[in-house]
Amino acid sequence: MIRRLLIANRGEIALRVIRACREMGIESVAIYSDADRRSPHVGAADRSVHIGPAPATDSYLSISRIVDAAAASGADAIHPGYGFLSENAAFAAACERAGIVFVGPPSAVIAQMGSKVAARKLMQNAGVPVVPGDTPYDQTDESIAAVVARVGFPALVKASAGGGGKGMKRIEDPSQSLEAIQSARREAQAAFGDGTLYVECAIDKPRHVEVQVFADNHDHVVHLFERECSVQRRHQKVIEESPSCVVTPRLRSRMTDAAVQAARACGYRNAGTVEFLVDVSGGRGTERFYFLEMNTRLQVEHPVTEQVTGLDMVRAQLLVASGEPLPWLSPSITQRGHAIEARIYAEDPSHGFLPQAGRLLLYRGPRMPGVRIDAGVEEGGEVSVHYDPLLAKVIATATTRDEAIARLSCALREFPILGVRTNIPFVLRILDHPKFRAGDVDTRFLDTEGASLAQDPDGEIPDVVREAIAVHRDSLESPSGSLNGEPQTANREFRDPWDHLRSWRS
Amino acid sequence: MAILKIERDGRQFTVYVAGSADDTWAFFDGQVYRQRAPDEAPTHRRSKGGRHVLTSPMPATVVKIAVAPGQAVRRGDTLVVVEAMKMELPIRAPADATVKAINCREGELVQPDRELVELE
Repeated sequence: MIRRLLIANRGEIALRVIRACREMGIESVAIYSDADRRSPHVGAADRSVHIGPAPATDSYLSISRIVDAAAASGADAIHPGYGFLSENAAFAAACERAGIVFVGPPSAVIAQMGSKVAARKLMQNAGVPVVPGDTPYDQTDESIAAVVARVGFPALVKASAGGGGKGMKRIEDPSQSLEAIQSARREAQAAFGDGTLYVECAIDKPRHVEVQVFADNHDHVVHLFERECSVQRRHQKVIEESPSCVVTPRLRSRMTDAAVQAARACGYRNAGTVEFLVDVSGGRGTERFYFLEMNTRLQVEHPVTEQVTGLDMVRAQLLVASGEPLPWLSPSITQRGHAIEARIYAEDPSHGFLPQAGRLLLYRGPRMPGVRIDAGVEEGGEVSVHYDPLLAKVIATATTRDEAIARLSCALREFPILGVRTNIPFVLRILDHPKFRAGDVDTRFLDTEGASLAQDPDGEIPDVVREAIAVHRDSLESPSGSLNGEPQTANREFRDPWDHLRSWRS
Repeated sequence: MAILKIERDGRQFTVYVAGSADDTWAFFDGQVYRQRAPDEAPTHRRSKGGRHVLTSPMPATVVKIAVAPGQAVRRGDTLVVVEAMKMELPIRAPADATVKAINCREGELVQPDRELVELE
């Protein structure tokens, strides 16, 4: 069994893994860059190791520094989280060489699935349907543009090494080809160090449905049902849910069979996700689905699956990585109720979704039944420009989809974050949208509706807000107020009587 | 900061407020309100005697300069592409104009107020 685990990540996912370690009696080791000295994941771990300056390339993306940190801290295993090095085959291989358990699949499987081109081939051979497309042997702009023209418009150029929409561009007509190809290659080169591109035909109104799979070293491969993630902005998921409202029992059994087959075909181990595009344009009973890619790591949206199955996926990851059999097998795994997750980003929807940086002057996670918050920040903390702007995930679970949506909406209305703009108002407007309520949403939903949903409605500041701001400003100016100048830390002044009592006592 | 209970017609509303008198934030019912002294408002685009100066909206790395001084550009043309948090953000021409000067290099890390491109 793993005794001491280094978490090669930061933010909410590092905290999620640290908590699983604590429950299992495993010692946790956090790593941190200069920008993260005071970040919550460092405070939560049993030990921590400084690994370099703020830029990720010199810290969270540095294979040598992280492997050295593991050796220096006596860790016998590394959990990569998601993003950063989680799908980097060279990192997994470096762990294998150093005799450190990598919590994930073998490096060869990551390499194979990481090449989207190789993954497509493997799936085709295993009988899993793939999206029509082609990979240009000649990677020049002109040659790729020619393949785009042959595949037809609209087309997608994608990074072979890609994921999460990085290095991926949609091309509507020939005039856009060159700029899109060059931009995709630059993003791919910057994000993955590999600018190889391939071309797929763009499916009309596809829905993004993915199947969670899990495999151990004892020949068990199981699935944990599906998640639907069709609400995406520029291929970054915003809202995820399980079950999907377009997946009928028959389609579910076909898709989960295909996903298990895919995992078996590549010799998969540990937690993975098989992403599909589902074409429902032909109506019920004629749905088609296509393999999109396989994610060889824990997903951001894994809590949705944990909520509907009642299973702890990170715990299972650590058991499987230790060589234990899966703690649960097929007939006992069930899907119950409905869970929906919103990703809360530090970004300003009304100004082009620009990532925001700054101090969290106020941050209070809602506490209510059926609501889970996986957060990586706390009040008083600094949101920096160096990393992904994900602040927290809010997951609501209830009996039905409608109840889960109402619960999520309620939670977000009671989730004050001040100091940086967030996408909470935007997410609330999505949850209220009639098409979303009806489950009539494909992956282009935010391309068409996003611009209007992003704008804050023009209107008067509500009366109660004006009054609250006036009261607050008065308190800042009054000599008896404890705030003369910038509030720097939490817990300075509260108007709530209970908080006054607390400060009298202290 | 403060959590304020404001009463209206016998009904109680909770408003969260934080920040300074010059830059006050409030949260109420899922919406965020920010009131700033006028000179604190950000200007990603400023006019200097008929010339437009474009700045990066946030700390970012310049990944591509798509135009050269003297070049005529049309409204909406991409002038410079900056990258922050692994996403590319194009900086586009606000109007038909001529590029007067480029004040950044590809690969350079730029701060929000830094002038990147000058148009006239």
